[in-house]
Amino acid sequence: MKIDNVIPKEQAVRDHTPEERALVLRLGVYVNMRWLIVLMIVFATLISSRVFHIGFSTLPVYIICAIIASYNLIFVRQARSLEAGKGGQVIERAQLSGNIQIVLDLLMLTALIHFTGGIENPFIFFYLAHTIAASILLPQRRAYALATLALLAITLLVLLEYYGVIPHVNLVGFVLDTRYKDTSRVVGVLVALATLVYGCTYVITAVSGELRRRQKEMVKLKDQVLEKRTMELEQASSEVAKLEQERRSFVRFLGVVAHDLQSPLVATQSFLSYILDGFTGQITDGQKDLLERGVRRIDGLLTLITDLLDIPRIETGQIAREMREISLNEVVKRSLEGLDNVAKQKELTLKVELPESSPKIIGASRRLQQVVTNLVGNAINYTNEGMVLVRVYDNENEVGVWVTDTGIGILPEDLPRLFNDFFRGSNAGAKGTGLGLSISKRIVEAHGGKIWAESPDPETKKGSRFTFTIPKKQTAAR
Amino acid sequence: MKQKPKILVVDDDVDLVAVMKGTLESKAYEVITAYNGKDGLDKAKKEKPDLILLDIMMPVMDGFNFAEQFVKDPSIAKIPVLALTSFSDSLGQPFPFQVSEYLRKPLKPKELIAKVEEHLKRGGSQT
Repeated sequence: MKIDNVIPKEQAVRDHTPEERALVLRLGVYVNMRWLIVLMIVFATLISSRVFHIGFSTLPVYIICAIIASYNLIFVRQARSLEAGKGGQVIERAQLSGNIQIVLDLLMLTALIHFTGGIENPFIFFYLAHTIAASILLPQRRAYALATLALLAITLLVLLEYYGVIPHVNLVGFVLDTRYKDTSRVVGVLVALATLVYGCTYVITAVSGELRRRQKEMVKLKDQVLEKRTMELEQASSEVAKLEQERRSFVRFLGVVAHDLQSPLVATQSFLSYILDGFTGQITDGQKDLLERGVRRIDGLLTLITDLLDIPRIETGQIAREMREISLNEVVKRSLEGLDNVAKQKELTLKVELPESSPKIIGASRRLQQVVTNLVGNAINYTNEGMVLVRVYDNENEVGVWVTDTGIGILPEDLPRLFNDFFRGSNAGAKGTGLGLSISKRIVEAHGGKIWAESPDPETKKGSRFTFTIPKKQTAAR
Repeated sequence: MKQKPKILVVDDDVDLVAVMKGTLESKAYEVITAYNGKDGLDKAKKEKPDLILLDIMMPVMDGFNFAEQFVKDPSIAKIPVLALTSFSDSLGQPFPFQVSEYLRKPLKPKELIAKVEEHLKRGGSQT
């Protein structure tokens, strides 16, 4: 079974364009108005014959009304089908239907006029109704053509009656029987009618045409605005693509820079260590001392380079790429791997409190490890006796990590500047690069979290406490 | 039962390789060197070392590409590999196979020896 059979083509419904919709609407209005007109004609006939006792044969009038009603039924059905959008070529069909209706109405009107007194009937001016309808529905040239047709029809009728070719129907009791032969009267009425009809056609087609022109202009304007917006959007998105590419090539650049800066340092350090470890033979104490200093300085430089190159990486959103679901307990455990030895060497207690079920968050595991290592490393560095405590807690909306120590604490004036780049505490021994905390802050904030320090620790009243939190819902980070 | 365990060192830094070679040879290991991934792969297939020290960031064929080819060859895929990474390599990428350990450059000679011994012992018990 072919799909074509399921929906027959003539029933395929589609949306109208605004032009089509307007046309179909108007057609619907006229079709409905015609019922009204038929009723009015019947009513007027009744009134004039029964109430005003004007004498004329009413039968032909009623017959004509019946004819109008019949063909209106056909046009009603057609209008409904056009409204429902069945079939194509809506505009052409609507216009053709409109033309036919107007011509038919014209003929009926002329016949009616004949049977109701011809030139005597003041309702002769109803040709205007047709003129107006035609001028609104049709383009200018056709409107004039129909106006001319209408005038020809009535003129023909009047002349035929005038010359006695067809019998004149007299409205007895309304007008004298001689009017239709009165030349000046006939000419006068026809001229008045012609003037009115053409005048009306002119005005209405002008107005109608203007309206249509404005509508087209608006549509064009809307299209222009749409086009401009689309172009702007395309431009913006291509700029975004360019920026994205620049970012990627910058990150690649950083990778190369890191490697090229570090390799010679690493090689040099390995030479020094090689000599230090006695592989080239015995070395003096003096040599050993200097070699050790060299190794240390290179270590510091390597750390600095790593830290410096980390910052642009974090700032350009590299972290977002490393994010996945991770277990916070695992991160903390891994961070502390090297540090418990260091703590032991300083005879400090390193205590860890983790919740039973590890909180799961979306984050970059290596980066968060960096943060914990930094905080705990600092705690150990700045504590000479006592304990360093790491505690993980899990709230509804966020997880948090405390690092508390019983160390030398932080001076109040240093607290606000603690996380600045290259900040080194006034009471510290100028150890490190001063970038550790600022990088930790960047990492935590890239996770949508917060980091802060308190000194002394609010519970123990000694040392300091560093806390960072990571929100649990991370949908925005992507 | 080998007298001289063979170690393959794959790293593009000539100086580093020289130092590592000197360090390991002082402990009576036989050291084979390669300066890029492709050469490393060829030498691994030819020499069948007992341990491979592999630098991850290398031109021509970097450590990851080496690893991809490495796992495909059953004759060498079982050799333990110690991956050498510099300070700030992104370890976000998962390695194509199970690296025995990641070692951070720079490695002090004593640490290098200790790690090599540790993994040779482990590797020996596995096979």
